[in-house]
Amino acid sequence: MTALLKIDNVSQTFVRNDKSSVEALRSIDLSINEGEFVSIVGASGSGKSTLLRIIDGLLAPSSGSVFVDGTKVDRPGPDRAMVFQQDSLLPWKTVIENVGYGLTLAGRPKAEVQAIAQRFIDMTGLRGFESHYPHQLSGGMRQRVNVARALAVDPKILLLDEPFAALDAQTREIMQTELLSIWQKSRKTVLLITHQIDEAVFLSDRVIVFSARPGCVKTEVAIDLPRPRDLDLKRHPAFIEQVDHIWKLIEAEVRAGVKQGA
Amino acid sequence: MRKVYDFLEQDTRAAAVTRILVSTGFVLILWQLLAMFVTNRLLLVPPAEVASALWKEFQQGSMAENAWATVTAVVTSFLVSIAIGIGIGLALASSRFLSLTGGPVLSALNSVPIIALAPLFIAWLGLGFASKFVLVLLVAVFPVVVTTEAGLRATDKPLIEAARSFNATPLQIFSTVTFPYALPFIVSGIRVAWARALVGIVVAEFFGSFAGFGFAIMSASQTFDTARVLGYVIVLGAMGLIGSVLFAALERYLAPWRLE
Repeated sequence: MTALLKIDNVSQTFVRNDKSSVEALRSIDLSINEGEFVSIVGASGSGKSTLLRIIDGLLAPSSGSVFVDGTKVDRPGPDRAMVFQQDSLLPWKTVIENVGYGLTLAGRPKAEVQAIAQRFIDMTGLRGFESHYPHQLSGGMRQRVNVARALAVDPKILLLDEPFAALDAQTREIMQTELLSIWQKSRKTVLLITHQIDEAVFLSDRVIVFSARPGCVKTEVAIDLPRPRDLDLKRHPAFIEQVDHIWKLIEAEVRAGVKQGA
Repeated sequence: MRKVYDFLEQDTRAAAVTRILVSTGFVLILWQLLAMFVTNRLLLVPPAEVASALWKEFQQGSMAENAWATVTAVVTSFLVSIAIGIGIGLALASSRFLSLTGGPVLSALNSVPIIALAPLFIAWLGLGFASKFVLVLLVAVFPVVVTTEAGLRATDKPLIEAARSFNATPLQIFSTVTFPYALPFIVSGIRVAWARALVGIVVAEFFGSFAGFGFAIMSASQTFDTARVLGYVIVLGAMGLIGSVLFAALERYLAPWRLE
């Protein structure tokens, strides 16, 4: 298999206003194959969101480079689409307009935008809510719009930045299964950032475990649980064992982070 | 009583109209009572006399004449100040240099009571349209400048980030994110600008003009015609109220998500 996404020795150092510098990421090497579902987990401060923003092209790395399909990333592009953690939907646009936003920006004709947006509205279970505004929707529905908007531009790689972090536990479980079924339908390559270990194990083919301060790859865990998966899997001993294994890898850092108040 | 409160708190047109009627009625009653104690008609006249004075102005055609003079001047000047205000606000929000250097000048100008310069403007520009136009422009432009700049700078960072992530050009970010976000802010500035424009026009007309509400108020007070003075003040109040209600409605229409 060829790597669709290749992260080559990426480091990121931020310089604060008081001239002190913070090393967010140190020499990250990663490659992700086409059609793979990969998650990155790590304690807060492990720079995982920073890495995602570098991959999306929103942030230039201090050193190293990112390649998508062999092309070096230097700005956001149509081959990648990001699903954001917080509300990043335009509050003055309807669901269908929000879903079609990326296509509209790309200058695609209106009828085509409508048709494509409708397809992804159907896929994400938003049918009937086309002309609602984001403030009229629940958190879970809003994240569906967020996912649909990213899928609508037909990216090669879907980047998800803790997409369900703001949802309550039950909604999160439902959204996880829906994300799985959408992934199975669309066969996108997915890179998910999360702090929920069970979410990462449940969804992924591989889980990359990050260390904090500076963020670097600690280890990688292959998840060989059978697919298709449903929520029952979460009670399976093999599942619990994997979650536990990953938790032990980052437990010390999470505890340190809690003590620092980070 | 509880039911009355529930009705008045509603966000419906009927409730809004009732609120206005109730408060207007309250003011009229208070006024009437006061006029029964203050019997010197130079100081205060009861509502009915004011109404009949207004009616007379209508019949004689001086109301139309004054209204034409005031409304044309205030509306043109108000529209121009919106355009200029948005323009300056845009420039300040898009250029850090302009904001840092021009900002202090503008806030200094804004704290000068420009109204006090009215006699000077009349000396420069003469009696009539030009001096009114400039004075109204100067008082009305600042709220629009300030809210435009503030609104454009207030845009949620995640919205801009998302637009960038979808490869939006700077112009697209402006037209699809920053400007729509700022629009309700701008309208609230326009609402304030309208109230200030009305003050500006009246003062300008006090000092130098031969027609307009300000001129009519001045000439009526010089002949101790208190009923006419109060009549024109009420007309001006109504203009202010209508503007305020319209722009508040526009604000709600443009940003329904802010209410929830």
